[in-house]
Amino acid sequence: MTAPTFTMTRHFDAPPELVWRCWTEPELVGRWYGPGMETEVHAFDPVPVGLWLHEMKMGEQSMYQRIEFVEVDAPSKLVMLMSNADADWKIIPSPMMANWPTTLLTEVTFDPDAGGTLLTLKWTPFEASDAEHEAFAAAMENLGQGWGKGMDVIANIVAELAA
Amino acid sequence: MEPIGYGSELDGVFAALADPTRRAILARLAEGSATVGELAEPFAMSQPAVSKHLKVLEKAGLIDRETKAQTRPARLNAERMQAAVTWLETFRDHWTGRLDRLDRLLNDLKREDR
Repeated sequence: MTAPTFTMTRHFDAPPELVWRCWTEPELVGRWYGPGMETEVHAFDPVPVGLWLHEMKMGEQSMYQRIEFVEVDAPSKLVMLMSNADADWKIIPSPMMANWPTTLLTEVTFDPDAGGTLLTLKWTPFEASDAEHEAFAAAMENLGQGWGKGMDVIANIVAELAA
Repeated sequence: MEPIGYGSELDGVFAALADPTRRAILARLAEGSATVGELAEPFAMSQPAVSKHLKVLEKAGLIDRETKAQTRPARLNAERMQAAVTWLETFRDHWTGRLDRLDRLLNDLKREDR
């Protein structure tokens, strides 16, 4: 089964060198990677096979991400293996969903674009089982096509219930 | 700290929510429990077809069925629903939310440079 790939692009009104710094300097990474909750960067070593250990705190619980840099080509390309981890930074299957790929290969490219930068992000399951590929492909399809409205419906239901 | 989410397997929930009819059924159940007959009416659907959808929702833990009454009205399991929504939103916003923040940071940095 061919690995499904999730691709998104985004234009930034800043040169590739500056966008690159935001991805490779830990102080700057900490200011956007978030995601909007208390986080702690336990290690950050942006060289091939260097590690980025990221803890996201949600009240009494934490989610741990173990990221391994594979390719670091300033200021144009960054390739990482992103995995869920336990508190000892050991790679584990997704705690949130069965068959979610354990490791996702994430490729980020930074191309000059009209005085700014075109960032392209690709997400592909890495050394994944067929079941993991299927779960990822299904999520891509559901969220990419027609899910916008469906999500609104569900969000409204939840808001009603919470009221 | 405790790792989050162990034991909450959301794949069934995810598959159940991917169908528009089932989302509509859930929207109806958010207003209160309903029997198969009551649910079939607005959807112009046979009762067996609705029953099939309810089975999927029940298996995913999104609804409960009353066991005592013969009509077995269905009601929403709000907790399960919330868990699924949280997960889906996390996923959807995973990169878009981050890149929005990166955009703001870049603007801040450019201002600092001046």
